[in-house]
Amino acid sequence: MAKTALLFLWPCAFSLVPVYAFEACPECDLLLNPAEPEHGDKAHCPRCGYLLQRPHKHSIERTLALSLAGLILIVPANLLPMIAVKLLGNSQDGNLWSGVLALFNEEMWAVAVLVMLSSVLLPLVNMGLAFVISLHLFIKKPSNYLIFWMRWYQHLNEWAMIEVYALGIIVAWVKLADDADIRFGFGLYAFVGLLIVNAMLANELDCYTFWQRISQLSKK
Amino acid sequence: MKLIKTALAQGFIRCHDCGYLIKSKVQCLCPVCKSSVSARRHQNLHLTTALIISSFCLYIPANIYPIMAVTELGVTARHTIAGGIMVLIQKDMVPIAILVLVASILVPLMKLLGITLLLLCVHYRWQVNVHLFTRMYRIIAFVGRWSMLDIFMISILVGLVNMGGVANVIAGPAATAFAAVVVLTMFAAKSFDPRLIWDHQLT
Repeated sequence: MAKTALLFLWPCAFSLVPVYAFEACPECDLLLNPAEPEHGDKAHCPRCGYLLQRPHKHSIERTLALSLAGLILIVPANLLPMIAVKLLGNSQDGNLWSGVLALFNEEMWAVAVLVMLSSVLLPLVNMGLAFVISLHLFIKKPSNYLIFWMRWYQHLNEWAMIEVYALGIIVAWVKLADDADIRFGFGLYAFVGLLIVNAMLANELDCYTFWQRISQLSKK
Repeated sequence: MKLIKTALAQGFIRCHDCGYLIKSKVQCLCPVCKSSVSARRHQNLHLTTALIISSFCLYIPANIYPIMAVTELGVTARHTIAGGIMVLIQKDMVPIAILVLVASILVPLMKLLGITLLLLCVHYRWQVNVHLFTRMYRIIAFVGRWSMLDIFMISILVGLVNMGGVANVIAGPAATAFAAVVVLTMFAAKSFDPRLIWDHQLT
């Protein structure tokens, strides 16, 4: 009963709350009527071409699923060995943490903290934020922290650099390939999985849609 | 003169975080996301300038000092960023050499010069090709994080090749300077408000 009432109220709530009556382009400040593109289409600013919104079908459900997958994959990607090197009879394996620890031991703590933040901590925080935001929107449970989480998600997004780290692995591999015998561990496969999930998540999470849903949820 | 309606000219301010339009002309709190909202981030021009000047200063030690020291069978060789690229070219790995060249020399330099140009354009109210400048801003903002490539590569090598006198890689002083350049230019690109480019254009 409550569920049907909710479904009935949904379109009403949408039209009664004039939250986003106008919008403005964030890069050139052109005043616009909100575009309502179809799922899968993109809305660009007519003056400067900025990508305003890119709604997807089932954006919230997909974000929820992908962030859950990412949170699961982060565990083996961090704990299992990624690369094993055999050099002149000595062998050593490393994961995401070994570089950070080695830099700490060298007292290069600034670089170590930066690498730890951008390759381990912030991807984890970002996945966690995407998970709690999409979970709350999925079960339609308002929370005072939703806006706070969403703002932090937007600000931290560019500091999680999994894809750059992957490129770093490729360059390091090419540099070592001549002199050493290199084997890839299971951690690297988990890391590649995490990379794919992360890219899909970034594509799926449309900030415009999410902010609209959040403001609808908190108005009710 | 074409009349283009900006949100500010109509008395609206767009929230930086959630995109909500607030009917106000002064600094206030966004009713949706509770973040502090101002019409333009003018005061940030000083911040951006300061960040860019510090990055210029740090860019010099980042390129002069060795970024890593490689020890193989007791022989230690120190590489600067450019030296590392030369080693890659000598080993016939030109595509990777070009990748590292672009990510760790050209991109930081281009970012520094690009943001300087944007700042000058806003400060002196130059009449410029706005579309070109907006595209430049977007490229600078997008490409910034990819400069971390060299730092990550060094952290991987340092973690993996750690076998005492036989083979050892340690990071050099330039690594800290270079990481600082990357972080500061990322903050500089983030603190710059691209709407300021559009504000003083007459056409």
